[in-house]
Amino acid sequence: MNKPRRWTPLRRSVQLAVALLYLVLPFLNRWGLRGFMGNLASLKVGPVDLLEPAVALSVVLAAGKITASLVLALLPVVALAVVLGPVFCSWVCPWGLLSEGLDYLKIRTLHLHRTWTADGYRKLRPLRMAALLVFLLASSVVASPLVALLAPPRLVTALPQELFYLSVRPVVTGSVLLLWLLAELFLPRRWVCRALCPVGALWNFLRLPWTLQVRFEPTLCVDPKVAPCHLHCPWGIDPRSMGRFDGCTNCLRCVEGCPSTALRAGFGKPMDPPVRTKKVST
Amino acid sequence: MKASRRGLFPALCGRVPLRPPGARPEPEFAALCIRCNRCITACPYKTLKPASWIYGERAGTPLVVPRKIPCYLCMACPPVCPTGALDPITDKRAVRMGLAVVDPESCFAHQGILCRTCVDECPLEGEAIYQDGELKPVVTEKCVGCGVCEKVCPVAEPAIVVRPRGDQ
Repeated sequence: MNKPRRWTPLRRSVQLAVALLYLVLPFLNRWGLRGFMGNLASLKVGPVDLLEPAVALSVVLAAGKITASLVLALLPVVALAVVLGPVFCSWVCPWGLLSEGLDYLKIRTLHLHRTWTADGYRKLRPLRMAALLVFLLASSVVASPLVALLAPPRLVTALPQELFYLSVRPVVTGSVLLLWLLAELFLPRRWVCRALCPVGALWNFLRLPWTLQVRFEPTLCVDPKVAPCHLHCPWGIDPRSMGRFDGCTNCLRCVEGCPSTALRAGFGKPMDPPVRTKKVST
Repeated sequence: MKASRRGLFPALCGRVPLRPPGARPEPEFAALCIRCNRCITACPYKTLKPASWIYGERAGTPLVVPRKIPCYLCMACPPVCPTGALDPITDKRAVRMGLAVVDPESCFAHQGILCRTCVDECPLEGEAIYQDGELKPVVTEKCVGCGVCEKVCPVAEPAIVVRPRGDQ
């Protein structure tokens, strides 16, 4: 039986490369290399314009209008989200990397119980939706693109820009980032990413039925009691019973943690209707 | 509602800053700008700077301080804006950042001292600012507000300053 490949080394490399790029980018820009510019609100890579979907939605609601350049920059990112799912959170975003590191330290130092409550991830879905709606409504009310101003992905990539290229004191960026850091430390595990970040929330809701996702073949499952997949998930999701919008970011940790081949990532409609964990009826 | 659409802390923001070329009028600009820093990165003269924290929720938006570095109208920034906060114009004569205003109290030419620095240095060569019969500088409607005149004015407190046009 073929064991699926290990994805985490590749994912870590991508995450680290992105984080490193944003540390080096201010210096490249300073030397006059402008082929790559911007932060995770919006990027220009050569001639290609990229715009973060939640930021774009926030701008449209704040300004009350849609511009052609905005739609054009949005298309490649939405295409990526629709094909590969919310990989932005688990493979790209430097805050995601930071958050994973903090979570690890939190568990090691505070000796928190490593396991997740069985159904906890499902309760976060309405919270994630609410966070996104609050950000978008507030953007419209105060006429300011609050997702761009406050969401961690832009802040964490704007900080090196402000420090090493723009030579301004990063007062606003720094203090909002500090608040997110405190939230990460004192709220339940990974809550900033799982429940509060509007950027991740929108990526998650961009899933279509045929978007890349982890699928479960119950007949191949060898360890349903211990469920190593559930223990491996950095967001506490049980891949055996998750629905499309339950927050999975396609990090593929569960796939490599599975001792059999019951879990695999694939495109197309799920093989079966999702198998729900049995509820005890009284 | 009208007041709230001006921003979170309108009182704190003070005077509206001078925006890059192609900027939409002010309340709309603040709503469209996502602080991606691309226009600031594109600027080869380091003219554009992000607004500091005293601008409240407008912190991080691009602005020009002409007395430090004026805009040389290279038109590199408007096309890189991803949201249309800057209209992608390429004609420097279409820019409407601000309008230069001469202070007759301090302007050397108005005191009878021979000075035509602003007229000489204006990148629009005689279209935006000219000398009248008494050799005093006169700003026309063609002025784009680049701020070169404010930069080169030999008076300690510049006698010609650019007023942003966006804030109507």
